[in-house]
Amino acid sequence: MKLITAVIKPHRLDEVKDALQAFGVHGLTVTEASGYGRQRGHTEVYRGAEYTVDLVPKVRIEVLVEDDDAEGLIDVIVKAARTGKIGDGKVWSVPVDTTVRVRTGERGPDAL
Amino acid sequence: MTDRQQAETTPDPVPDGGYAAQRLHLLREDPRTGADRRRALAELTDRWLSGLFSTAAAGLGGVALVAVGGYGRGELSPRSDLDLLLLHDGGTKGAAVPTLAEQIWYPVWDNGIALDHSVRDLSTARRVAAEDLKVQLGLLDARHLAGDPGLTTTLRSAVLADWRSAAARRLPELHELCRDRAERHGDLSFLLEPDLKEARGGLRDLSALDAVAASWIADAPRAGLGAAGTRLRDVRDTLHLVTGRATDRLNLQEQDQVAAELGVLDADILLRQVYEAARTIAYASDVTWREVDRVLRSRSGRLRRVNRLGFGGSGRGGGPLERSPLAEGVVEQDGEAVLATAARPATDPVLPLRAAAAAAQAGLTLSPSTVRRLAAETRPLPVPWPDEAREQLVTLLGAGESAVPVWEALEAEGLIARLLPDWDRVRCRPQRNAVHRWTVDRHLVETAVRAGALTRRVARPDLLLVAALLHDIGKGWPGDHSEAGEVITRDVASRLGFPKQDVETLALLVRHHLLLVETATRRDLDDPATVAAITSVVGSTGALELLHALTEADALATGPAAWSSWRSTLVGDLAARAATALDLAGPAPAATASEPSAEEERLAVEAARTEGPVLSLRAEAEQAHDPAVEPMGVTLTLALPERPAILPTVAGVLALHRLTVRSAVIRELDPVGAGRVLALTWQVSAEYGEVPEAARLRADIRRALDGGLDVSRRLAERDASAPRRRGSAAPPPRVTVAPGGSASATVLEVRAHDAPGLLHRIGRALEATGVRVRTARISTLGADAVDAFYVTGPDDLPLPPSRATEVARAVERALS
Repeated sequence: MKLITAVIKPHRLDEVKDALQAFGVHGLTVTEASGYGRQRGHTEVYRGAEYTVDLVPKVRIEVLVEDDDAEGLIDVIVKAARTGKIGDGKVWSVPVDTTVRVRTGERGPDAL
Repeated sequence: MTDRQQAETTPDPVPDGGYAAQRLHLLREDPRTGADRRRALAELTDRWLSGLFSTAAAGLGGVALVAVGGYGRGELSPRSDLDLLLLHDGGTKGAAVPTLAEQIWYPVWDNGIALDHSVRDLSTARRVAAEDLKVQLGLLDARHLAGDPGLTTTLRSAVLADWRSAAARRLPELHELCRDRAERHGDLSFLLEPDLKEARGGLRDLSALDAVAASWIADAPRAGLGAAGTRLRDVRDTLHLVTGRATDRLNLQEQDQVAAELGVLDADILLRQVYEAARTIAYASDVTWREVDRVLRSRSGRLRRVNRLGFGGSGRGGGPLERSPLAEGVVEQDGEAVLATAARPATDPVLPLRAAAAAAQAGLTLSPSTVRRLAAETRPLPVPWPDEAREQLVTLLGAGESAVPVWEALEAEGLIARLLPDWDRVRCRPQRNAVHRWTVDRHLVETAVRAGALTRRVARPDLLLVAALLHDIGKGWPGDHSEAGEVITRDVASRLGFPKQDVETLALLVRHHLLLVETATRRDLDDPATVAAITSVVGSTGALELLHALTEADALATGPAAWSSWRSTLVGDLAARAATALDLAGPAPAATASEPSAEEERLAVEAARTEGPVLSLRAEAEQAHDPAVEPMGVTLTLALPERPAILPTVAGVLALHRLTVRSAVIRELDPVGAGRVLALTWQVSAEYGEVPEAARLRADIRRALDGGLDVSRRLAERDASAPRRRGSAAPPPRVTVAPGGSASATVLEVRAHDAPGLLHRIGRALEATGVRVRTARISTLGADAVDAFYVTGPDDLPLPPSRATEVARAVERALS
């Protein structure tokens, strides 16, 4: 099993959600996040000195999937989140040892 | 689910099959519900505990088993704790008492019932009660269960006597405890997931009222109180049974099932019933605690007076009550706002709003008897509302936190529904939404409170506050609440007497109050179409800044999850981009002063000729001849040859005469080509009583200009002698340089909390920086002043940007 995490622009959330639903994902977690990457937040010039301080608002999406679906799902997210401009975000996946559905105690793929 | 959990926590009925089985039967199968069931459960438990006691005590004397707290009151909810005290006479019984205690406590624990237990002799019980208020409150409800009844009777009378003799010290402690609890758990009648026991207006407040009554100091208004308590207890019982836990918090997920079990149509109706009950209790608490404070204060006051007049002089008891004026017809007395003796509720329809605004601004509450009298005697406001009524509503809303209790007091007597008939639909209205904390009506009031802190960010604080109050008024109507709200708002705003353009702005704000937050979090801010979608709706920077402030106030008043720095950054970014786009499309035209009026021209010519001040005064309201309508104020027109310090001097004289400036226009004329003349037109109204005669004003202005009357000193003296009030926390003043203001002058915008003499202070501050005021537009919107001053340097040219900023800072400092 894999945990796929995507940090994307907030306004792409609806598209990504729709795409994931079409792919057959049943559940996901969304968090309001802030950060910067190569984009380095906003760059502003104040009294001649350039400074970057702001963290840019982002949305963080987490989805648990079976190994075989991981690559396909990553492609789906990337396609839905892309605007082609700087600050579009990042997607990564990590292996997951255990998954338990809290209500029933089901484990592994059944818990997805 | 109820049954399963019940069975899980009840062990096999081997040791006490009788009690456990009967208890289960009572809770699951017995047709009795509500108070009957609570009493039956208490009686069943009484019998069981008496049995345990008599078996275990077996002839041991000088011991009694006493029920305290809720159990002492003879009612048990399905998951209530058992509060038990094993009382002994302190005789030498060695290990007998602890052994006896164990023989009672263990079966209780074994039955899975939560137990609050203690073993004490009489003097220890009294001592602990004296130290711990909660123990004291529990003991007030002590009830004999088994053993030596004489012991319990002695305890009861001792505890009650202690409570009464120490009431002056302990009741304030109890009040503090209640306030603390309200602070932590909030208001039962406005929370969407309320704690039935701990929140303000909940069951604990009800027991506190009983404790107050037991002290013989005061008693609560009993009307509806019993029914309210029963309702809350019934809901709590059902909650216990539905969840199988001893919880008092009515969570969203349980509300449907609790409603169904209680036979209520749906959860909304259930919550409304809870809210109504809580309001009854909270209102009774307020009235009772005020009465307690009054009684205790008058007792200590009497003591002080006796001490002071130690020689047994002429102290005739009560003495004159101290009253200080707050507004026309409203005075402060004993920490509350009450009607003045001269007030005439029957002929003064604005009085309820004026009293409410004055109370809220002074950080006071309205006395309950005042509100009752206002509700009984005042006539409805004419439609559209007179200007004063609208201003007072805005002043009330802008008072911040202290507006809430005042609003609630008006609401409790039905005055709000009379002012705003549409309010009834949102009153006590629950919202099935996890993000929201409050009922719709409280959310609206809270939004206005939050908006009050943002008034310096907008040019029209009055529109911001009214939009905040109305933004969700469409909830409760079918369809989109923003669309319904727009229709209602247009209607309400017209009735409130707002001019057409303001009505449209308010309608727009309500219709689109979610636009910024929805767009900012879902659309690409880099896309020009996103920004265009905003600018095409709002149309002007004025409406945009109002919408931005409303968005923030709304979110802050929704709940902790609705406004994060994440959201604030996105919304702020969008608003800034939209503002830039609107500026590029054409900067807002700097409002220029209109043409001088014929009156101004006439006076200016006369002033130029006589080289002294000339002044005219006339009543403003055309309905002034209608005896039922108080004249709204007067127009004062004044012209005088230009000289330094005119603005602060004239403003100071008006303040000395207790005239409040509602609006003013200052302009420079040169009527006969023989030097500049300043024409000032003021709309003023008297703070109290009547506007003074023109001759007196003219004489004082002349004296002040000649130096014969030191306005600043007189004002300072009067301020010093005025009573100090807590007041409401107004946001700090803000002075800014309007971008692109005017070609011929620098425009300074001053936004500040209105206060007597404010304009005098602004005028002095401007004077001190050496700039010349060429034109000014002064407006008072509710409790906020929004002024624009067109100033130039001594060279008659606009100030350079850095100098303009310096002047703005200097004025801001002077006002802070």
